[in-house]
Amino acid sequence: MLDQIAQLEEEALREIEAAQDMEALKELRVRYLGKKGALTALLRRMGDLPPEQRPAAGQKANSLRKKLEELLRRKEEELRAAAAAARIEEERIDVTLPGAPFKLGRKHPLTLVLEEITAIFTGLGFQVARGPEIESEYYNFEALNIPADHPARDMQDSFYFTPQILLRTHTSPVQVRTMEKKAPHLPVRIIAPGKVYRRDDDATHSPMFHQVEGLAVDRGVTFADLKGTLLLFAREMFGPDQRIRLRPSFFPFTEPSAEVDIACIICRGEGCRVCGHSGWLEILGCGMVHPRVLEVSGYDPEDVTGFAFGMGVERIAMIKYGIDDIRLFFANDLRFLKQFR
Amino acid sequence: MRIPYSWLKEYIDLGLSPEELAEQLTHAGIEVDAVERLAELPARVVVGEIVSLAPHPGSSNLSIAAVDPGGGPALQVVCGAPNIAAGQKVPLALPGAVLPGRGPIEAAEIRGVRSEGMLCSGEELGLELGSPDGILILDPDVKTGQPLGEALGLDDPILVLDLTPNRADCLGMLGVAYEVAALTGAAVKHPPASPPEGEEPTSEVLQVEVEEPSLCSRYTARVIDDIAVGPSPLWMQLRLLKAGLRPISNIVDITNYVMWEYGQPLHAFDFQLIRGGRIIVRRARPGEILVTLDGVERSLDEEVLVIADAAGPVALGGVMGGESSEIKPSTRRVLLEAALFNAANIRRTSRRYGIPSEASQRFERGVNPQWVAEASGRAALLMAQLAGGKVLRGLLDSNPAPVEPRRVTVRPHRMSEILGMKITPEEVREILERLGFAVDPAGRSFEVTVPLRRGDISLEEDVVEEVARLYGYEKIPATLPRGEMQESREGLPGRLQGLARDTLTACGFNEIITYSFISPAELRSLRLPEGDYRLQAIPLQNPLSEEQSIMRTTLLPGILKTMQYNFHQREMNQLLFEIGAVFLPRQLPLAELPQEKLRLSLGATGQFPEANWYSPSQPAGFFVLKGAVEALLHRFGIAGVRYLPAELPFAHPTRAAAIMIGEEEAGFIGELRPEVAEAWDYPQPATVAELDLDLLIAKANLVPRVAPLPRYPAGLRDIAVLVPRSMPAEKLERCIYEAGGGLVEKVALFDLYEGAQIPAGKRSLAFTITFRHPQRTLTEAEINAAQADIEAALARLGAELRR
Ligand SMILES: [Zn+2]
Repeated sequence: MLDQIAQLEEEALREIEAAQDMEALKELRVRYLGKKGALTALLRRMGDLPPEQRPAAGQKANSLRKKLEELLRRKEEELRAAAAAARIEEERIDVTLPGAPFKLGRKHPLTLVLEEITAIFTGLGFQVARGPEIESEYYNFEALNIPADHPARDMQDSFYFTPQILLRTHTSPVQVRTMEKKAPHLPVRIIAPGKVYRRDDDATHSPMFHQVEGLAVDRGVTFADLKGTLLLFAREMFGPDQRIRLRPSFFPFTEPSAEVDIACIICRGEGCRVCGHSGWLEILGCGMVHPRVLEVSGYDPEDVTGFAFGMGVERIAMIKYGIDDIRLFFANDLRFLKQFR
Repeated sequence: MRIPYSWLKEYIDLGLSPEELAEQLTHAGIEVDAVERLAELPARVVVGEIVSLAPHPGSSNLSIAAVDPGGGPALQVVCGAPNIAAGQKVPLALPGAVLPGRGPIEAAEIRGVRSEGMLCSGEELGLELGSPDGILILDPDVKTGQPLGEALGLDDPILVLDLTPNRADCLGMLGVAYEVAALTGAAVKHPPASPPEGEEPTSEVLQVEVEEPSLCSRYTARVIDDIAVGPSPLWMQLRLLKAGLRPISNIVDITNYVMWEYGQPLHAFDFQLIRGGRIIVRRARPGEILVTLDGVERSLDEEVLVIADAAGPVALGGVMGGESSEIKPSTRRVLLEAALFNAANIRRTSRRYGIPSEASQRFERGVNPQWVAEASGRAALLMAQLAGGKVLRGLLDSNPAPVEPRRVTVRPHRMSEILGMKITPEEVREILERLGFAVDPAGRSFEVTVPLRRGDISLEEDVVEEVARLYGYEKIPATLPRGEMQESREGLPGRLQGLARDTLTACGFNEIITYSFISPAELRSLRLPEGDYRLQAIPLQNPLSEEQSIMRTTLLPGILKTMQYNFHQREMNQLLFEIGAVFLPRQLPLAELPQEKLRLSLGATGQFPEANWYSPSQPAGFFVLKGAVEALLHRFGIAGVRYLPAELPFAHPTRAAAIMIGEEEAGFIGELRPEVAEAWDYPQPATVAELDLDLLIAKANLVPRVAPLPRYPAGLRDIAVLVPRSMPAEKLERCIYEAGGGLVEKVALFDLYEGAQIPAGKRSLAFTITFRHPQRTLTEAEINAAQADIEAALARLGAELRR
C-alpha cells in the first residue's frame, strides 16, 4: 500500500509539473483527487489493510492529498500568471504611432491679432462698434475735418464708386457714426475693427487691409490718458517691459496728434534691419479728437474731450509674427496659414 | 523736402550734428526719413589745375595739358574736350581711379603721346553738372589737389523730411530754420534780398491787372533787363542737385533756388514775349488753349486761372508756365512773378491736368504771404549778381487785402486739462515765444498772434499741440481714463462670429481672408442666370486692375480662387472657410450706400480625414460640409433645420441642397458642377457652401433650457430596411418618430450599405431606435408593440425589413 502511495505520488508530481494549461490541471485534479480519482480509490481500499497498518497508510495518503492540493494550487497560480503575462504581451501597442487624426483648423493670423486687440480693449471697458465698408464722402472725409480740395486727401488714395460714395480708407468714420448715435450721452468708449481700402499694392501696402479704431470721449479725457491706454495696450500685446514713444504728427481729425512707436521687438531698441536701425517700430496714429469732429458729432468741445487712435492690424501681425510681405495675408497659402495656433 | 545741411547753416547757427538735428526734428514732429549724401565719388579723383596747354602732334581734336595735381610734378594728360584752358581747375582722375561704369584709369599712350590720367566731365563722374561734352570746370577758389568729393561738398549730409500736409512752412529752408530756432534758441538770418534798382520804373514797361482776386490774392512783378542766360555757378547747381532739383539755366535755377529758400514759388517769363506789356490774372475763357512748358497742349475753361498778356494765356497761374514765354538762351529781359494763388483752385487745376509741380504743391498747402516781396527781391538780386541783370525800379504789387496775422485765445488751464498735466502759464509763454508767436496776457488767458508762416494754426487746440510738441511728448505722464463704468463687450454679432470661427476650426477648417473686390470673370464662372441678384455687382470707378474691379456679391469666388491657388501648391486636401461682407446695391449706379450682408462660405476637397493609418477616409465632399454646417447650427442653438435638394447654377444637379430654417433659406451646400471645376482647372471634385450669417445671428439661441435627466431606463432596438435609392433617409426617420406613438426618443442611422447582396437600385439603412417613457419603465411588450407599429408604417412606405 505504502509503495502504491509512493508510486502515485511520484507519478502525480511529474504530471502536475508537466501540465501546460488550466485544462490539463483540472483534468489532473479529477484524476487524482476527484471522487473517482486515484488517491480516493486508494483511501477507499484502506479498509482492506490489516488494522495495524491502517494509521500509517492513512497518514501517508492524507499528507499526499494535502501535498497534491497545494501543488495544484501553486501550479494553477503559476499558469494563471503566465497566461496574464502572455495576454498583456499580446496587447502591446506601438506608442510611437501617430494619434487619431483630429486635425484642428486654424484661424487666420489677422483674426488672431484682432481677437487679441479686442480682448485687451474690452477688458478696459471699450465696446465694439462696426460701420459700413462702403462709406459716404461725408463720413469718410468731411465729418473728419478733411474737406474737398484739401491736401490731406493725398494721405489716402481712395477707391470710388461715385463722387460721393467710396470704400472707406480708414475705420475713423465709425467714430462719427457712433458719437452721432450716442450724443449727448457719456461716456463713449469704443473700438471699431474692420476692413479698409487704399489704392496701393506692394510688399508693405495692400489695397485691402484691417484697422482697429479706438475712441474715448468723456469729461476730462486727456492726452495723458491716451498715452497710458496705449502703453498698457503695447505691454499686453508685446510684453510687460515694452516701451512706447509718441512723436508729434498730423491727422486732420485729431489735435494734438501723434504717431506711436514701440521699442523694436527684434533688437529690443538697439537698432537692426527690421527697424531701419532706429530701434523703434511705428504701430499706430492717435491724438485728441479735433473739436470740429466733436461738434459735427453732437458734442460740445468745451464740455467734453476725447482721444482716438487707429492701428493697422497687418502691421501689428507682421511685427508680432515676423512677416515681411503683407500679400501673404491674402494669398491664403495653407502652408502659411497652418503655421498659426 | 530735401535739406542740405551746409545750406541750412547759412540761415541759422547749427550747434548740432546732422544726426542730432534729425533726431530733434523728428521728436518735434518734423519727421526726418533719412540722412543722405548726394553721391559717393571715386577715390583718386582730385582737383587739378591746368598749368599749360599744347596741341597734340597726332590729332587736331586732342590737346596735351600739363596738370598740377596739387603736389609733385605736373602730369601730362591728353584730352579731347574743347572747353579747357590754362589756369582752369578741373577734375583729374589719377591712375587707379575707378569712374562709374568704367574700368580703372591707367597711364597710357594716346596717339603716341603718354597720358598720365584723365580730365572728367560731370557726366563721367555720375553728376548732372556742367555740359555733357565738356570737362567740368570747377570754381577758381577750390584748392588744387583736394579730393574732388570734398571740393564739391558731396559729403554734405542731406536731411530728407517726410512732411505732413499741415507743415507747408517747412517746404522752404527758412521755414525749417525757424523750426530749428524754436528747438535750439538760435537766431534766423535771412539772406540779402534788396536788389540794386535802376532809374527806369517797372511801371513804365509793365501793367498788372488782377481780375480774379479770389483766386490770386496777391501778384507782384519785377522786370530785370540785360540779363545773359547761361549756366548758373557750380555752387548753385550743386545745391539744387542736393535739393533734388535739376539745374537748367541761371534764371530758372535762381527761381528754384529762391523757392527752396523761402517756400515761395516764382516764375520767370521772357518779357519780350509778353505781348502788349500787360499781365492780366483772370479765369481762362472757354476754348482758350495753352501749350505748357512740358510741351503739352492744354484746353482751358473758366475753372482755370491763367496769367495772360494782351493777346492770351501765357501760364497756368501757380502750376506751370507756358512754352511761348519760356526763358531761352536769347532771353534778355525777364519778368519775375511772385504771387499768392488760391490753394483749392491750384489743387483742382494741377490734378485735372496731372501736373504735380513743386510750385503747385506749395500753393496747395499754403505759402507764407509775408515773404512774397522779399523772395522777389532776393531773386532779382541774384539775377543781378549772377546773370548781369539790371533791375528796374520798383515792385509792381497788387495786394488788395493784405493778410493779417491770426490771433488765437489760449487758456493755459485748458491746455493742462487737454494734456492731463500741469503746465504753467510761464512755460506756455516761453515755448510760444520761442516759436515766434507774440503773446499778450489777457486775464487768465493769452492773446497769441500766430506768425504768417504758420497758416496751419487757427484754433486753441492747434496752439496746444505746438506747446506740447516743444515741451516734449515724452514728458507727458501716462494715466488711464477715469469715469463712469459701462458694460464692456464684443456685442452679440461679434461673439457669434467668434463662435463660428471656433466651431469651424474645431471641425478642421482653416480660415481665409480674401479681397472684397473680385473680377467679373470670376463671377461669370458661376454660370449665374440672367436676373440673379449676384450679377448686380458694384463696379469700382478706379480699380487697380480688372482682377479687382467689382465688389463681391458672394464669397464663392474667394473660396474658389483660394482652392485653385492651393491646388497649384500641390495641397490636395483643403478645408476652408471665410467670414466677410458681400455688397448688394439697391440700384446701379449707386445712389445710396449698398446693403452689406455678412456671409460665411466653406469649401472642401480631397479626403476626410486625410489618409491615415487609424481610420478609413471618405471624399471631403457634401457630407463633410453638411457635418460642419450641422455642428455650426447646433452651436448656435438653431433647431428645425432641413436640407432640401436644390438646383444651383454652379452645383452638381443631384449633389446640392438648400439649407432651410423654417421657411427661410439660410444658404446652400453643393458639389461644384464638373464644368465649373474644369473652368477653374481643378484636378478633383470640390464642394462649397455659403450661409447667410446675418440670419444665423438673428436666429441664434445661445442659452439652452435644461431638460430634467430621464428617471426611467430606455430600451434600444435596431431596425434595418431595404429601400429604393431615391427614398430620402429623412423620410424614414420621420416615419419612425411618427409611428412610434410618442415613445421614440431618438433615431440614429448607424449603417448605410449598397452594393453586393443588395438588389440594384436599392440600399439598406440601419437605425438604432431609443424608446423611453418619461414617467415609467417601458415593458418589453410595450416596446415590441411600438416596434411592430413602426415596422408596419415603414412597410407602407415601401421599405422591406431585413432581419
Ligand atoms: Zn530693431
